[in-house]
Amino acid sequence: MIIEHIDTQLPGTVTDRHAFRGDQTIVIAKENLLAVVALLYREGFQLLVDITAVDWPEREERFDVVYHWLNLASQERLRVKVPVADGGTVPTLTGTFKTADWFEREVFDMFGITFDGHPDLRRLLTWSDFPGHPLRKDFPLDGGDPFCMEGCTAPYNNGERG
Amino acid sequence: MSELNINDAVMTTRLDAVVNWGRKNSLWPMPFGVACCAIEFMSMMASRFDLSRFGAEAMRFSPRQSDMMLILGTITNKMAPVLRTIYAQMAEPKWVISVGVCASSGGMYRTYATLQGVDRVIPVDVYVPGCPPRPESMIYGVMKLQEKIEKESLSMRKDHIARFYESLARQEAIQAEKNQTSQQTIREMLMDAGERGVGTIF
Amino acid sequence: MAHPASPFLSVLILLLVAAVTAIAILVLSGWVLPLLKPNNPQAAKMRPYECGVQPLQGGARRKYSVKFYLTAMLFILFDVEAAFLLPWAVNFKQALWTFGAMLSFMATLLVGFIYAWGKGAFEWER
Repeated sequence: MIIEHIDTQLPGTVTDRHAFRGDQTIVIAKENLLAVVALLYREGFQLLVDITAVDWPEREERFDVVYHWLNLASQERLRVKVPVADGGTVPTLTGTFKTADWFEREVFDMFGITFDGHPDLRRLLTWSDFPGHPLRKDFPLDGGDPFCMEGCTAPYNNGERG
Repeated sequence: MSELNINDAVMTTRLDAVVNWGRKNSLWPMPFGVACCAIEFMSMMASRFDLSRFGAEAMRFSPRQSDMMLILGTITNKMAPVLRTIYAQMAEPKWVISVGVCASSGGMYRTYATLQGVDRVIPVDVYVPGCPPRPESMIYGVMKLQEKIEKESLSMRKDHIARFYESLARQEAIQAEKNQTSQQTIREMLMDAGERGVGTIF
Repeated sequence: MAHPASPFLSVLILLLVAAVTAIAILVLSGWVLPLLKPNNPQAAKMRPYECGVQPLQGGARRKYSVKFYLTAMLFILFDVEAAFLLPWAVNFKQALWTFGAMLSFMATLLVGFIYAWGKGAFEWER
């Protein structure tokens, strides 16, 4: 339903879509994010449930910033994915949704994605001079801890010691 | 060559016996409760499992007023300097019981965020495994600590505490010199120690 | 020869027990305890406790409004006046001139009260 609205009023913004067992997902480009968000807000999707990101290291545009919305009136949920490259920035949603403040700080902390116009973009879960961004696929699970017992493996660092 | 027996190294006297009796029967816990093991601690202090029969009823959340620190829960790398500061502010004689597997060894969390065992940053006397340990296990841990205290002597030197304060001074010096956060300093000290094959920073 | 116990015997026993207890506490804590307790003064141990984080820069002293001081001062003045009024109130009927004396005392304080009122010392929200 909401996807038809988006197609009618902002044609061409939805680059990909899929649905699975009742949920619906659309993929849009980051240039269209603010317009789509304004439309969603008007249509009643006023609860921003979550902002997170996924790292696809083989892809050109490495990260997918994932937003979830809930329409409290119609109980409809929508997932929006925005691909962004390493070093690219995404416009912030803190103007419309105050809760986006800390969600975006968490995404910045874990992935290193910066948000344009964010009032206070700094690390949230790790300490302020933590080296690296932990949820990227090339960050070792144990953080490069040299004190490892014989035979333990840390995923995603090519099986190197640590 | 005969091995050095603890009984040969430590000579206890009647005065020691009296002092140790007093200390072991009035261990006032300071619960450093951060996670699920704290719930089991609450259960242990309540009437069914009752730790106050051992003299430990006066549970103080201040390091100044307690002599036994119980580390209850997962300690993250972000929390490590806080733990060190609070341990430093306890008055001697002081003992540490690390309760649960997260505090003893990092538990099921072998990650960048979790401190792999609290004995990497502070000296620990008794480890109580479990996830979470049953209150009876925790009481057994306190009893083991009591047995350890019985064997102490007034003339015994507590090297581990002196080394802890030295490491705290080193940490602060490095922190001031490099203008880093305490967490990053501890992390780097741990990495250095790990490279040398040493598991602790004190 | 038995002599009757003096009524002050119990007081003497109390005095002796109190003296012995006080001296015992002093001796034990001054001479015996330092031999038994560990003594390890460390800089990190002496710092103010602030839940394990660095203490507030510059301490916790902040500038605060003078109205707290004013209120306390005015309270003291009028509370002392009330304290003087109480014993007078019990037996001023014995002589007439005491009534007049107290009235003049209260008049002096009344002048001060009107002055403070006029200056706005009683307004909290200024």
